[in-house]
Amino acid sequence: MATRKTTNGAPRGASSGATGSARTTGVRDAVIVGGNRIPFSRAGKRYADASNSEMFTAALEGLVARFGLQGERLGEVVGGAVLKHSRDFNMIRESVLGSSLSPQTPAFDLQQACATGLEATINVANKIRLGQIDSGVAGGTDTISDAPIAVSDPLRRALLAAQHAKTLQGRLKALAQVRPGDLKPLTPATDEPRTGLSMGEHQAITTARWGISREAQDELALASHQNLTAAWDSGFFDDLVTPFRGLTRDDNVRADTSLEKLASLKPVFGKSLATSAEVPAVPTMTAGNSTPLTDGASTVLLASTDWAQAHDLPVLARFVDAETAAVDFVHGHEGLLMAPVHAVPRLLARNGLTLADFDFVEIHEAFASTVLTTLAAWEDADYCKNELGLPGPFGSVDRARINVNGSSLAAGHPFAATGGRIVATAAKLVAQRAAETGKPARALVSVCAAGGLGATAIIESV
Amino acid sequence: MTDSYTRLVNAGLGKTLSKRLGLPRPAVLRRYRPGDPLTVGPVLVLSDAASKPEADAVAQALLRWEVDVRREPTDDARWGAVVLVLTEAARPTDVSDAVLAVGSVLRRVAPNGRVVTVSRALTDDDPPELAATRGGVEGFLRSLAKELRAGATGNGIVLTDGAAADSTSALATLRFFLSARSAFVDGQLLPVGPADAGADESGTATDRPLAGKVAVVTGAARGIGVDIAKTLARDGATVVCVDVPAAGEGLTRTANAVGGTALQLDVTADDAGTRILEHARSRHGGVDIVVHNAGILRDKLLANMKPQQWDAVIAVNLASQLRINAQLLEAGVEGLRIVSLASIAGIAGNRGQTNYGFSKAGVIGHTRATAPLVARLGGTANAVAPGFIETEMTRTIPTVTRELGRRASSLQQGGLPVDVAEAIVFLVSPAAAGVNGEVLRVCGQSWLGR
Amino acid sequence: MTATRPATVAGGPLRIETLPSLPGLAGLYARGAAASGRIAAGRALPHLPVVGTALEPGDGPLALPDVAYRVSGVETDGLAPHLRDYQRLVHEPASDTMPAGYLHVLAFPLATAVMVRGDFPLPLLGMVHLSNAVEHRGPVRVGDLLEVRAWAENLRPHRRGVQIDLVAEVWPDGGGERALWRGVSTYLAKGFHLPDGSPSGVDGSPERAPSGTWAPPLPTGRWALGPGTGRAYGAVSGDRNPIHLSALSAKAFGYPRAIAHGMYTAARALADVGNARGDAYRWTVHFGRPVLLPGTVDVAVTPAEDGTGFRYVGWNAPRRLKHFEGGVVPLDA
Repeated sequence: MATRKTTNGAPRGASSGATGSARTTGVRDAVIVGGNRIPFSRAGKRYADASNSEMFTAALEGLVARFGLQGERLGEVVGGAVLKHSRDFNMIRESVLGSSLSPQTPAFDLQQACATGLEATINVANKIRLGQIDSGVAGGTDTISDAPIAVSDPLRRALLAAQHAKTLQGRLKALAQVRPGDLKPLTPATDEPRTGLSMGEHQAITTARWGISREAQDELALASHQNLTAAWDSGFFDDLVTPFRGLTRDDNVRADTSLEKLASLKPVFGKSLATSAEVPAVPTMTAGNSTPLTDGASTVLLASTDWAQAHDLPVLARFVDAETAAVDFVHGHEGLLMAPVHAVPRLLARNGLTLADFDFVEIHEAFASTVLTTLAAWEDADYCKNELGLPGPFGSVDRARINVNGSSLAAGHPFAATGGRIVATAAKLVAQRAAETGKPARALVSVCAAGGLGATAIIESV
Repeated sequence: MTDSYTRLVNAGLGKTLSKRLGLPRPAVLRRYRPGDPLTVGPVLVLSDAASKPEADAVAQALLRWEVDVRREPTDDARWGAVVLVLTEAARPTDVSDAVLAVGSVLRRVAPNGRVVTVSRALTDDDPPELAATRGGVEGFLRSLAKELRAGATGNGIVLTDGAAADSTSALATLRFFLSARSAFVDGQLLPVGPADAGADESGTATDRPLAGKVAVVTGAARGIGVDIAKTLARDGATVVCVDVPAAGEGLTRTANAVGGTALQLDVTADDAGTRILEHARSRHGGVDIVVHNAGILRDKLLANMKPQQWDAVIAVNLASQLRINAQLLEAGVEGLRIVSLASIAGIAGNRGQTNYGFSKAGVIGHTRATAPLVARLGGTANAVAPGFIETEMTRTIPTVTRELGRRASSLQQGGLPVDVAEAIVFLVSPAAAGVNGEVLRVCGQSWLGR
Repeated sequence: MTATRPATVAGGPLRIETLPSLPGLAGLYARGAAASGRIAAGRALPHLPVVGTALEPGDGPLALPDVAYRVSGVETDGLAPHLRDYQRLVHEPASDTMPAGYLHVLAFPLATAVMVRGDFPLPLLGMVHLSNAVEHRGPVRVGDLLEVRAWAENLRPHRRGVQIDLVAEVWPDGGGERALWRGVSTYLAKGFHLPDGSPSGVDGSPERAPSGTWAPPLPTGRWALGPGTGRAYGAVSGDRNPIHLSALSAKAFGYPRAIAHGMYTAARALADVGNARGDAYRWTVHFGRPVLLPGTVDVAVTPAEDGTGFRYVGWNAPRRLKHFEGGVVPLDA
């Protein structure tokens, strides 16, 4: 299928296949010991008054409890929040100090939009692989409910000028420049700063270009809810989640949803595209096949094999390799959330793998159509040739291997917390599969992010 | 967290008023803190004539614990404890001098003092006079305990199978009864047998008798389970804290407070025992202690009882313990020390608690039956039956009922969760290996039950 | 459109009139009076005459003044705060290099001065900005000494009146081989006719399809323009035409609400192109339906099909109305 119309026929930017050497050698393994998150909650509900650091600390404390890390000096704790208050400048370190870990555990904040959690994992894994640390926690936290609210730029500048003024007169002069309209607070926006389009609108354009149907999106959403419900019911999350504020399960998951219910929802994104000359498309993206705004936090414990053994800790999987990518979305050349489509072929080429080599494929469901456009792109010969620099289609993924225990559509998506959720889930999946079959199992993780970013990783059973 | 009434009548105007009005005046009980002296004053060791050698042996042991031991009742002391050794008394008349000597010092027993009898259990071969004497001690102790005031308690060690009064487990039990650890144990007679060769006394007198042990506590997220975990950890054990996944938030708090690990697990799961064992073995090298604390209430008059109310209580409080024990025994865990939480409701019964009463009496029943099975592998199985304990659960009981529950005991107050925990920690301590298949009540000598 | 010295209007040579300083803006920023920012910047700008002393329609033959204004020695040392305010407003990155739109603002008072001359035949108020074409030949930085010239030319018919070009140029002070920047603003004066009665010609503005029939492309961006957009740009640019300032003042001129400055929207589009435009570029815009404030504008800023530069278009999605379109094409410096 080649329904996609590119604005600019010529491929731009580097997108050649294998760029690095095959499989990084000379470094030791980084293994995933386990994970812990708090149940994810729809914005404004159970965690309405929980802060980012409270949620992260809760997730971290659950991890410490699960693995008996009280008083332990870990190599590093790395995490972040996408919507972060300026007072939380050292949020992760503060969480460590508020936890049962040794206060001698270093920490730092990082942020890569929705890929924050996975990028944190990559960071900790790389430090372990290089021998810089023996153990570490990666994670993330985000709250919409308790998001920071900023003052307008004119008010902010006036306040700062007043603060810096040396005389009363100077201060008054600075403050006199504030106008009533400047007093309106600014709530954080999820719009892309450079385009002013929300992520949903961006994805609606990508969805229209690839001709992804409403039915396909709703089916994927239904599967997410069904898979996540089944995973909860089977106890899969018993050692991956610790309740918080009385919430014991993700509260966005709808065990009772159906295609009929999903089909009854009105589109919320892409409504203005119907008149487009380029791709006349009826809007297809609803609240049902898009992720809701969510609060939550997650953590993953990584270590060297030796450290895990010395601490009598289990090892779920090996964090094999990772690749990040970015796309030129600003002028419509590529979809905002298509970066993982570019990252994965490079990642797999470097590791000598194909899509068929994966038992599990975890694609973050920012929207149902994100998953579907990703799959469609990999199957499209022209696209793969022109945009990815591949000789032909990258390949197909067996639907039965995708997000088998649900993903963000059902669980929700507290931006920075999603990476940790997926990594821990994927690690446990491959460990279980390997235990069942006695053969190695492998998972591919793909997370798209704002700013045209994407992070991807390979996780293998040990 | 002594209850507010107890605080009121122990200070200032409340104290004066309650004395004048003849209201119950429960004492503020002394509780164990590592490093505190064993007793609140010197220990008087008395015996009948025939038991003097046994009493001497006990006195020697007390001296080893650096306790101020006296053998003669004198007027100048505020007695921390009186130990009455009657192990060799053969006729009822043999004990007269000794018990009256106890009586002569009773008024000088210090607040939170102790009276401990050491006697022998009845056996099938006892001649009538011996049986009368041994049986009489029990009635004497229970009655004496009710005469004690100001937080003082009376308990008895009943030696079985020819155990010596200074055998490892007898001394461990004596130490427990003398100490502040047994603050809410009153009027109890605990059978103590000779410990297996493997039991050692070395840890008895230390503050960390459980060092190196791995203990599993179910229901560790809240209530008494938290105190059990903390007390086990305080005494040196590494604690695996188990509770249902939904209680994970509290479980995390407990695990992090005790430096243990949290295992989110529903004890009613078919493979709960196996998973506990897997966790304990892979993370801590094995399991030495299991405390079956998880329990639920679904109170309903039997006429109104719904199947799920009955079944849930039986599943959690009783069936889960059976299944876990069976899986641990099948796995051949050696030296396993099991303590199950029974309840006074399992002994005396309680209106609206037919399900709970069944489950808790069932616990007592299976403990007796499990004891010999565990003993084959060098372990023990005992139960602890709490009386009225001040917990989140009992705070929800209506005021009048709650007050009756509190005051209807010799100590005239509810116990604290830590009192239950102390009893458990004693029962699982290495030196208590001679206590097996028993039910230890922690009830302040409640008026309820046998 | 090669920049040339102003030569002729209607065949005759232009008289160059040298002014001592830029009207209004002259020296103000240079003196640092506006160091404290945007508000002061707005206040500091003079209230340009908004009502020209133009002839009434049909009041004799139309002829443009045969004069070109010139101001030499324009100092830009003190313009940094003003430039910063402008850059923030139109989403340009902060830099001491002036975007083409800023030079338009810089030259605007001089061009306006031409239009408010007593012999200028058309009324300033009520003229419609049809299109704008700028050649930006190279970087102009804060601190450069400049010469600014402005004149009107090319009076010609339009199907709804007459149109003229206001030409402004920015030169290195003392002249040089060519202008650093040249902007041609095309205005429509409705209801005027050229004396020769020539028929309505090509007006160069985008075709105005009936509402709801034009099919837009896929957007690459969306601007949420607040009610104060016109006031904010008016304050920075000095263009305080009442149609931009408030709903009330706009109604007086027949608009339901305030409308955004066309040059503001074009400057946003230029900023959207970003670094790809390079140091020298040709920037054009044709204005369609006005952007009512507050309002949302869908935009598509995309690489041109022929691979040179960018095309952009802005529209109202629900009503399928085109607001503007244009291009940014790199020039060989």
